[in-house]
Amino acid sequence: MLATQGLMKSFGGLIAIDNVTFEVERGELSSIIGPNGAGKTTLFNLLTGHLQPDAGNVVFKGKDITGLPPYRICRLGIGRSFQHMNIFPRLSVFDNVQAAVLSREGKFTKIFAPAKDMARSETIEVLKTVELGTKMLVPAGLLAYGDQKRLEIGIALALRPALLLLDEPTAGMSPEETAGIAGLIARVVQYQGLTALFVEHDMSVVFGISQKIRVMHLGRIIATGTAEEIRADDEVQRIYLGEEL
Amino acid sequence: MTSQALLMQLLSGLSGGMLIYLIAVGLSLIFGTLRVLNLAHGAIYMLGAYLCVWLTSTFHQIPGMFWWALLIGPILVALFGGLVEVALLRRVYGWHFMYQFIITFALILIVSDLTRLIWGGGFHSITYPWPLKGNIKVAGGTFPLYNLFLVMVGVSIFYGLRALLNYTKLGKVIRGVTYNREIMSILGENVQGVYTVVFMLGCWLGGLGGALATPLVTVSLGMDMTVIIQSFIVVVIGGLGSLTGAFIGALILGLLDSFGIIILPQLAIAFGFILMAVVLIVRPYGLLGKREYD
Amino acid sequence: MTNQQTTIHPLSSPIYKLFGRRWLWAASAVAILALLPILVDTSWVSVLCEILILAVAASGLNLLIGYTGMISFGPAGLYAVGAYSMAVLLVQADVPFGVAFIAGPIAATFVSLIIGWFCVRRTAVYFALLTLAFSQLIHTIIFKWYKLTGGDDGIVEIPVPEVLFSIEHYYYFALACTLGSLLILWLIVNSPFDKALQVIRENPGRAEFIGVNVRKYQLIAFAIQGFFLGFAGSLLCGFSHNVFPPIANWTESIHIIIACLLGGMLHFVGPFVGAMVYILLDKFVTGFTEYWSLVLGIVVIMLVLFFRGGIAGFILDKLSAQRS
Repeated sequence: MLATQGLMKSFGGLIAIDNVTFEVERGELSSIIGPNGAGKTTLFNLLTGHLQPDAGNVVFKGKDITGLPPYRICRLGIGRSFQHMNIFPRLSVFDNVQAAVLSREGKFTKIFAPAKDMARSETIEVLKTVELGTKMLVPAGLLAYGDQKRLEIGIALALRPALLLLDEPTAGMSPEETAGIAGLIARVVQYQGLTALFVEHDMSVVFGISQKIRVMHLGRIIATGTAEEIRADDEVQRIYLGEEL
Repeated sequence: MTSQALLMQLLSGLSGGMLIYLIAVGLSLIFGTLRVLNLAHGAIYMLGAYLCVWLTSTFHQIPGMFWWALLIGPILVALFGGLVEVALLRRVYGWHFMYQFIITFALILIVSDLTRLIWGGGFHSITYPWPLKGNIKVAGGTFPLYNLFLVMVGVSIFYGLRALLNYTKLGKVIRGVTYNREIMSILGENVQGVYTVVFMLGCWLGGLGGALATPLVTVSLGMDMTVIIQSFIVVVIGGLGSLTGAFIGALILGLLDSFGIIILPQLAIAFGFILMAVVLIVRPYGLLGKREYD
Repeated sequence: MTNQQTTIHPLSSPIYKLFGRRWLWAASAVAILALLPILVDTSWVSVLCEILILAVAASGLNLLIGYTGMISFGPAGLYAVGAYSMAVLLVQADVPFGVAFIAGPIAATFVSLIIGWFCVRRTAVYFALLTLAFSQLIHTIIFKWYKLTGGDDGIVEIPVPEVLFSIEHYYYFALACTLGSLLILWLIVNSPFDKALQVIRENPGRAEFIGVNVRKYQLIAFAIQGFFLGFAGSLLCGFSHNVFPPIANWTESIHIIIACLLGGMLHFVGPFVGAMVYILLDKFVTGFTEYWSLVLGIVVIMLVLFFRGGIAGFILDKLSAQRS
């Protein structure tokens, strides 16, 4: 589904991404972990076109997407949720998700038709999936943090992506909320046949739901494997010195 | 065109640019630290000019009154600026820049009417002050002594501001607040006070510019309008928030005005705007601007 | 978060609640507007025309600043392009009134596409300053191109058809044009296209990543704004029978922006209300004091400080609060 080859990216003199090559298979639910500064978000930004790589390429469903602008990559089927609040605060929850649906359906070019009830059933479907069905009319900016994250995922889902990239979906959440989101991701991947790749710090989520884990450090992928393999890996242990795996 | 005439145009452009700098630097300083685009800066300039003319003509018996006016006038303007900052401006820090724009525009309305209220709507002018009457011989031609004086003042202000910002404690605090307001207030610095001081300094500079301009321009209502657009152009070309940039930008604009009238008199006025647009299109941060004003 | 609630109005809730009532409000407003010339002095009808013209301009501008979140400091330039295009065609090219009238907005749209292409590449302050630069360039061109525009003398005695010569008749013409414009704008702001604009306003980065080509939509919004500004310019030309360079100056831009702000940028009727308030305020204040700039300045400051959501915003807020 997704493959990168020799990705390189530096900022000034600092090498952020150092020769990253990996593949994501269709239907896979995998994660990327690593200490802060390992380059995880930068990698995502390279995948989604928010940054241009200095070298290497990104291939999605057999097509080279390196250097395409983000809106084109999105239309090709990659959805993403962002680490920092990335919703539309003054629009209602309903409008937030509806916008994504309308975009996907190419309805944004319509000028002379009322938008209020367009794609209503599908929007409500998505809202129910992320458990925000009861909060449809609330302005997104007024939601609790955990709900905003759900909304984020909802917006990404509404695009019906083939590949879903989630950047720290459970950051800052309580254990209950975290478990809820993790369960949501797992369910969605299974029932909608998505491929998902997420970046996480919360090990319970990582080891709980991902089939494959990649460990990044200083811009490189230093280990790839299942939960047991990663846990047993000496180098990974060394990097996360002292941390409970 | 003879080289002598060329030199004259050059000097004329430089001294004109220097006056523009003296006016625009206050705007640049205020934007750099307070992040406010003060549309009323032209009105501040106008206040400075009116005060200077009024003081000079009212107390004309006192020898060298112009110089006293130069001293007193801008200070009065600065005090007025301080009042405005405390009463009004500090409520809108952090608001969208559009609101600040409208509020400073409203200030223009208020200040220009206050000016009319106090001094009436006539035209005023004063002559070159002693000892700067007359011309000096330069490269075979003559050049007004006063304009040379302006160049000196401009350069002094440039270095003076630099010294203030880099070598004094106040300057360090100002720079700190410019770059990171939150950290400075956590460190116990009186950020609000610094803002007031900077605004007053900016107004002082604007008022000084107005006072210095009085022997050269006609002092009347409406002088604020042309000046503010010029100052905007300078600040954009030089780079938002950069004082050195304002200096260079002003000189460029002065030279452009001076030579523009000779090369293409019809379009001379447009050169400033064209340059402003080109800078914004090609390199929005200007010559020396910083990247963070987005 | 409560701070956000009082000053930023959620677009969905009050409108859903007011649905159904809106048609009543709109119909009564139209009826009142249609009857006004009978009830008031001729001089007031002239003021009403001014209000309508500013309302069209401000409503067009608001598509850009209120709905797409892009602050432009240069609407006057496009407004003047509309007015001058019509004036030049009528006086110098002897074109029929209807054609010249439509040429205004078309020319303005054309110019705004060119200017907009450059401007949308920049964000926030730089975008605003660039629109200002272009607007001043237009002002300079109008001022200097004596042969075409009459420069400082302006263009006077512009021929207007007999039927539109009287103020009352022109008022009804302007009213029809205004209602037509507002209708089109209403359709636009309720369409999916406008949803794209709103997501761009709320979060351009995120909008990009739900597949919106942000620059393209910004440019289209800019062009639509240009169309309505030019339309207002044409209305102005027909109303005053003359055009002068000051209509292209940045001070004119400020008037249009103030109308949007005073009325409320996040509501459809905001600009109309703002135009009404601003012009009535201006006339009223000019009437009783010589120092109307001073008073106007103070009032504008008060309104901005205390009614940040605009007057329409304030009223709608109160209404929806009453309902709940």
